[in-house]
Order: sequence, then structure tokens, then C-alpha cells
Amino acid sequence: MKAPANGAGFVTTARLVAAKDLRLEWRTLDSLAGMLLFALIVLVVYSFAFDGAMNRELGARFLIPGILWTVVTFSGLISFSRAFQNETADDTLTALRLAPVDRGAIYTGKLLAVLVKLAALETVTVPLTALFFSFDLAPHAGPLVLVLVLHTVGLAVLGTLTGAIAARVGRGEALTAILLLPAAAPLLISAVETTGAVLGGEPLASIRAWLLGSLGFAMLFFCVAVLTFDYVLEE
Amino acid sequence: MSSTPNWLERSLYPLLVLTTAGMVGALWLIFLHAPEEKVMGAVQKLFYFHVPAAIMTYAAVAVLLIGSIAYLWTRDVRWDNLSIAATECGLFFCGMVLITGPIWGRPAWGVWWTWEARLTTTLVLWILLAAAILVRSYADNRELGARLASVLGILAAIDIYIIRKAVEWFRGMHPTVFKPGAERDVDPAIGQAFGATSLVFILLFLLLLAVTYREAQLRDRAERLTQALGR
Repeated sequence: MKAPANGAGFVTTARLVAAKDLRLEWRTLDSLAGMLLFALIVLVVYSFAFDGAMNRELGARFLIPGILWTVVTFSGLISFSRAFQNETADDTLTALRLAPVDRGAIYTGKLLAVLVKLAALETVTVPLTALFFSFDLAPHAGPLVLVLVLHTVGLAVLGTLTGAIAARVGRGEALTAILLLPAAAPLLISAVETTGAVLGGEPLASIRAWLLGSLGFAMLFFCVAVLTFDYVLEE
Repeated sequence: MSSTPNWLERSLYPLLVLTTAGMVGALWLIFLHAPEEKVMGAVQKLFYFHVPAAIMTYAAVAVLLIGSIAYLWTRDVRWDNLSIAATECGLFFCGMVLITGPIWGRPAWGVWWTWEARLTTTLVLWILLAAAILVRSYADNRELGARLASVLGILAAIDIYIIRKAVEWFRGMHPTVFKPGAERDVDPAIGQAFGATSLVFILLFLLLLAVTYREAQLRDRAERLTQALGR
């Protein structure tokens, strides 16, 4: 791997950081293993909390959105806090900080790697949730993927920033959760609303405002994160 | 070591006297001057405390946003002291809203708590402010804490308006007492009492802001003195 020339561009830096993180993940399965196992055990716990009778009573369509998003959010916390904890173990953060590149690009690279991990998590947990609570996803697959992608991006945007803040003060998932969950409240509301609508077979046009709102939310906080990340990384 | 603006310290006592006198006056207006509301009865008096506290909470968030951006921009520790003061005052007023709200909600709505738009928003705001204080206390050094708390301050201040909108879309049942443009059919004494209480709350906010700001300043100074001695 060739080292980036002095002042590598935004996109190159982001790509290199993401590639480095993903290579690390591929070789160690450091956060994915934890995320998947945690998601699995949460699903099992939910199956105790909401038994078959309750599932039939409420209808899976009303149960699944909440279950799905709590599983994704809580498992996601592992990848958010791990993204920067990795760098503090051997103080590789100092090396990242010394690189003559835009810090916003470092954030973007971390974000991309986190997104790939979340995509892997969702490919497993979403069908598994449907399977555990006997719901047929196939007719709603298209709109569901759109809803998942949109809200996962927003969640990762805030999660990567709050994970970095938690790692900077030497804390892990607990502080990330305290910082992320209240800040992501609008996103989680929208995620549950739109997932419910999609699983109920409602047309995408009926949830247009929610989807556009979430897209705006993700873009706004991406800008905030890129602009403020300098101050988070700084020694 | 003379970063002490004396005007601040000198203004504290007059402000304290003024606020205390205002409080006595406002209490008189609330409990003796303004009539008891016909439908709600005595519990309506909480409104005089609840609403100004909520307004001051949002004022504190606005000050926090200004302090946070200005600190990151200038790195002047005075702005960060303002952020510290605004966060702590915001937490105080927000806590007051969260305590007075349910006391009113129980007789009015029949429940202590409901996941209604403004209630949810206020609770989330309280958590965000508390989290900013938490991060500051976890940080190894003053400067790191100041930077991270400023980033969080900006995040929280922008976010809180979005949270508000999102939860409003989701569900809403909170009463709007003074609808803009609506004809008001309330006793003028109620309006007077509310106006006076709001003024007193502004004074209280300024007083608390000045005290917490001064406290942050003194803490910095104590830190510097300890370092100078312990070296």
C-alpha cells in the first residue's frame, strides 16, 4: 500500500482510512463478531419478552419495527465506540492526527467503514428478525431496503461522531449510548414510523416527509461532524 | 492572574437583591392578586413557574450554542466558562420544568407522565445537557473537556429543534396557552402575574448564569494556583 502523498485529497483519505479499518476488521472480526452475537442474543431476549400470543395479538407489523431498530441501534453501538477505541489501544490515533490530511476526511473514512459493518449486520439480522417473528419480508423488500439504508446512514453519522467523543475521554459503549440515543431520537422515531408503514404495505409517497426529513438530518449532521471533527481529534 | 472582571463580582449582590425582591413581588401577584382559575383551580398557579422555566431553558440552550461556537472559534476560555454556566443553568431550569410539569399533569391529564411531544423533548434535552457535563468531567484535561463539550453543545442546540419537530409530528397534546393571534379571554391580573414572573425568571437566569460563570472562573484560577505550587 502506497502511502498518500503530502496532503492527500478528501476522497483518497477517506477511502484509505475506510480500507484500513475494513482490512483490520476482516482479519480480526473485532467488532462484527460482537455485533452479530449481541444482535442474536437481543433477538432471543425479545422472543421471551414478546411471545407468540402477543405477536399474533398485535400483529408482527407493529412489533417488528421496534425490535429491528433497537437491535440495530444497540449492536451498532459496538461498532461506533470500537471505531476509535481501536486507535487508542496502541495510540495509533496520534499517527492519524499527524497525517497532513483533512480531519473531516478521517471522520468520513471511519464512517464508511462503520456503514459497511452495519450493512453486514443488517443483512443477517433483518431476515432473522422476520424469521423469528414469522413475518414475510419478501413483498416489502424494495421499500424496506430504502428505509433501512436511509436511517442507517443517519445513525452512523451521529454514532461515529459520538463514538469518537466517548473514545477521546476513554469510555466505551455506555457513554456512546448516552450521547447518541437522545441525539438520534428524531431518526429513531422516523425509522420506526417508516418501517411500520412499509411493512404494512403503505406506498412510499405516504411517508415521503419522514424520508426526506431523515435524509436532511443525516446530511446536516454529516456537515456538523466534518466541520467539528478537527476539535474532537486535536490533542 | 488578574483575569477577574470586577464588574461581574460587583454586580452579583445588586442582582441578588433585585431577584429576591422580584420573587416576593411575583409571589404576591401570583397568590394574592391573580384570581384562581375557574376550571383548574389552585394547581393552575404552577403555570407561572412552569412556563417561564421552560422559556429560560431554551434561552440557556441559545447561550450554550453561542458559547460553544465562539469557544471553538476563538479558543478564549471565557466563552467556555459561559458554556459551562449555560449548561448548568439549562439543566436547572429544565429540571424545574420536568418537576412542575407532572405535578400539573396529574390533576389535569390524570397521569404523571405521558410521551407527548414537549415532554419527550424536554426529557431528551435534560439528558443531552447532563451528558455534556458528564463528558467534561470524564476528560483528562480542561481543554479537551472544553472542546468536546463545545462540539456536543452545538450538536445538542441544533438537534433540540429537530427533536421537537419530529416528536410533534409523531404526537402532540400539550396545551398551548397563549396562541398567537387568538383572542384572549383571561383576567388581566393573570397576565400581569405571568409577565412579572417571567421578568423575575430572567433576573434569576442572569443571576445563576453570573454565579456559575464566576464559579468556573474561580475553579480555573484554583487549578492554575495548584499547578504553580505543586510543580
